[in-house]
Amino acid sequence: MDYDKLLNISVELGCRLMSSGAEIYRVEESVRRLLQAYGLDSPEVFAIPNCVIVSITTPAGHPITRMRRIGGHGTDIELLERCNALCRRLCAQPPPVEEAQRQLSALLDRAPQYAPWQVLLGYGIAPAFFSPLFGGGAADSLCAFIGGLAVGLCLLYGGRFLGSNSFFRTAACSTVASLASLTLVRLGLGHSADTVTISVLMVLVPGVALTNAMREIMAGDIISGLSRAADSILTAAAIAIGSAAGLGIVGML
Amino acid sequence: MLAVWNGYILPCVCAFLACLGFTLVFNIHGVGKLICGVGGALGWLIYLLGGSTIFAAFLASAAIGLFAEIMARLRRCPVTGYLLVALLPLVPGGGIYYAMSYCMAGDTQRFLDTLLHTFGMAAALAVGAMLTASLFRAAYLHLHRPKPAKT
Repeated sequence: MDYDKLLNISVELGCRLMSSGAEIYRVEESVRRLLQAYGLDSPEVFAIPNCVIVSITTPAGHPITRMRRIGGHGTDIELLERCNALCRRLCAQPPPVEEAQRQLSALLDRAPQYAPWQVLLGYGIAPAFFSPLFGGGAADSLCAFIGGLAVGLCLLYGGRFLGSNSFFRTAACSTVASLASLTLVRLGLGHSADTVTISVLMVLVPGVALTNAMREIMAGDIISGLSRAADSILTAAAIAIGSAAGLGIVGML
Repeated sequence: MLAVWNGYILPCVCAFLACLGFTLVFNIHGVGKLICGVGGALGWLIYLLGGSTIFAAFLASAAIGLFAEIMARLRRCPVTGYLLVALLPLVPGGGIYYAMSYCMAGDTQRFLDTLLHTFGMAAALAVGAMLTASLFRAAYLHLHRPKPAKT
């Protein structure tokens, strides 16, 4: 068997899992099981949110290690489910390495993605229905919908102007959120500026980072858990700074 | 009747729809969308029934954790997606905003109050969901000893 190829496949799988938002223990466990299914007795896998290291020893006694860095990524549950299902399939009946490689490459092509306008609609719908939860009326929902669309546009298409720094991006988006909501309320479209702003900010709130952080800590991956917890606190701080900037700008006008 | 409709049913429908909006953002397809929506509505219902306190948030997130684990076992899918989306309505976005606006206004006392309440909510969410998830996992492993679960 070609152990170099096997190592590449397993690192690739780990990388896909991680960048679609899997927990650390799932990445480590999946890669380890995959390698064990191919007959390696003690594969070592180490993962933190932006790096995967896999090390194997071939039956001939030759150690091979591969490290792969993972850049910033979002959450893609469909891809995660597919990677997980593929990993189960490969572990249950390990095909030849080339076949496994082919299936892994095919995974990305066949995974369904929502069109940008659908994702944008999602960014609009979520705040629109959050606003009644915070006590807003129909008019506030409409404002929140528009504000959500504005934030969604920033998140989807603003990457070029905002750069890859997630702290700055979140701060800029929440400035847009509070500016949009305050302007709409000042124009007389909505009633409560606070309700509209909070509803729009809900799309930026670090719920994902918080949930992931606690799952990592619970699973015993303290380093990853702490880094994700720090991420969620930083995101919350960015939201506060950004919306404060929005309030300040409107206050000066 | 109207009170029940306005007080409980309408907010839950809104939570359901808001979660559906988030499934578009997180690229969830098919039955998963419904599961996320129902999870969000369930969590919000329990939060309202519990009186919208920190303890209510704890109970709600515990219920969401249990619901998400069961659904993940039934569908043999990772639990992450369902848990993430269903917890989102409970995340204290309002707390962050109000804390910021009190801080801007120089109202230190209310700023600290709101900040601590926000941290309390976040901690309640985290502890609630992971408590039930761990209990469920322990019980499930106990019941299905020959087939160790990996979800």
